[in-house]
Amino acid sequence: MLPLPSFSLLAPDRLDDVLAPLGQPGVRLLAGGTDLLPSMKHRLFKPATLLSLSRVPELARIEPTEDGGLRIGAMATLLGVRQDARVRAGWPALASACATVATRTIQAMGTLGGNVMLDTRCLYYNQPAGWRASIGGCLKAEGSVCHVAPRGTGCYAAQSSDTVPSLMLYEAELELLSRRGSRRLALSELFSADGRDGPRIERDELLRAVILPPPGAVVLHRKVRPRGAIDYGMLLVAVRRQGDGGSAVISALGPAPVSVRVEQLGDLAQAAWKASNPLSTHSWSSTWRKHMVRIEVARAVAELTTPRLAIAHG
Amino acid sequence: MPDEIVLKTTINGESARLLVPANRSLLDMLREDLGLTGSKHGCDVGDCGACTVLLDGQPRLSCITLAAEADGRAVRTIEGMAEGGLLHPIQEALHRHVGAQCGYCTPGIVMALAPLVDDPDQAVDDETLREVLGANICRCTGYTRILSAAREVLAGGDRQRGRAAGAREPSDGGTA
Ligand SMILES: Cc1cc2nc3c(=O)[nH]c(=O)nc-3n(C[C@H](O)[C@H](O)[C@H](O)COP(=O)(O)OP(=O)(O)OC[C@H]3O[C@@H](n4cnc5c(N)ncnc54)[C@H](O)[C@@H]3O)c2cc1C
Ligand code: SF4
Ligand code: FES
Ligand code: FES
Repeated sequence: MLPLPSFSLLAPDRLDDVLAPLGQPGVRLLAGGTDLLPSMKHRLFKPATLLSLSRVPELARIEPTEDGGLRIGAMATLLGVRQDARVRAGWPALASACATVATRTIQAMGTLGGNVMLDTRCLYYNQPAGWRASIGGCLKAEGSVCHVAPRGTGCYAAQSSDTVPSLMLYEAELELLSRRGSRRLALSELFSADGRDGPRIERDELLRAVILPPPGAVVLHRKVRPRGAIDYGMLLVAVRRQGDGGSAVISALGPAPVSVRVEQLGDLAQAAWKASNPLSTHSWSSTWRKHMVRIEVARAVAELTTPRLAIAHG
Repeated sequence: MPDEIVLKTTINGESARLLVPANRSLLDMLREDLGLTGSKHGCDVGDCGACTVLLDGQPRLSCITLAAEADGRAVRTIEGMAEGGLLHPIQEALHRHVGAQCGYCTPGIVMALAPLVDDPDQAVDDETLREVLGANICRCTGYTRILSAAREVLAGGDRQRGRAAGAREPSDGGTA
């Protein structure tokens, strides 16, 4: 039995009552808990107070925007997003990305907001406390050395959210909310260069919704993982076709996803391969993961350019 | 700020009012506070599905759900699956197909599959069935017999309790 560390729990049912304590020292947001609670059981976080969003119904709403896009509340579950008819029709790569997260049971618990705000992950960090203690911890927790790059001073723990690559290619924006008001942030601006720093929002802000611009972008998402369920990706790839050219977002390589754009779609796989620099944050060889970047991008491009397969549903 | 929570919940059809520490997981509340030990501790961090229970009818991993989440909601555990002296059809079929060996995963598997069986309007294709089972690790059976049991219940139109051939009374209060 792995008990949770002690904390106080706040579970307000009004958004205003969530915003009031947000930003105070030791307060941490709890959404579906599928990332945070396992991490707390491993003593990676010991917040004094958990501030649960699960009793605020308005945060779970999915609704069209005035310009024909979609506004997905941060507390919408991954299963709800994946099954939403509008998402499947207009942003099918998001639906299929949600369908690759963990398992269906976890998709019914985990939220889109929690997925976007997911902590970075590393082989030497996401481990039980005793395991970490046996190697003296690492720069991200308890230690003074990075086991991935021992001579460096940075942390390379990998952004591992399954929905981020396709959301980036759909040009999603984040609606952030605090007592000070509301603001928009492009999703591509969320990520830090160092794996310790976490998402770049203010301490008193929460993610209220993910905003998708009107449909039309042709995007495809692929995930490389050891088993067909449960596992995080060792490589995540999303590809978008734009006229003769296209873009790719490659993730699970380091703290921030890598974006590339080319004029000729045929050059995309090589460009993505060149831009990718995976480190040994996973138990799978980084040489092999880099090799797979080219292959997975080429596969995605092939699928995108085969008209019959252009729309992949989750 | 509250570090103990009063919660009003329904557990296997019975309403309960409980005082639990804020950091209690739903699984520990069920097992330690209420003695409902049918739901299992496997990994305790969301990987294995042995702790699956139903919260308002939907499968939840109780090891990574706070007990407080049960406030105002209905919890169903393996102990509440037998009704009127009859096993749930999926328990019945797992028994008949020998879909359990050590049995450690079985309560979780029953709770993951039961909502599919209980919704007669839902057509469940094999892909969905496999995907649902992907949330539950079984180290013994290789899943073949679990799948054959589930396929039979889902396809056979005998989703109602006691209809399946060989339905029998539980001998142990329904704990599979
Ligand atoms: C066995 C297992 C396998 C998994 N596999 C995958 C996988 O393959 N791919 C994947 O992407 N994820 C995976 N996950 C992680 C997780 O299930 C998902 O990422 C999920 O979407 C997280 O959402 P949540 O609501 O549970 O977040 P929580 O755990 O509640 O929160 C995650 C983080 O986000 C913060 N947060 C949550 N909501 C907000 C908000 N609205 N505003 C600001 N901050 C917020 C929290 O403070 C916390 O730091 C896995 C988890 C488990 C247990
Ligand atoms: S990249 Fe280095 S510092 Fe960061 S979590 Fe991994 S081992 Fe720790
Ligand atoms: S014990 Fe809950 S998922 Fe393993
Ligand atoms: S029967 Fe032993 S783990 Fe499934």
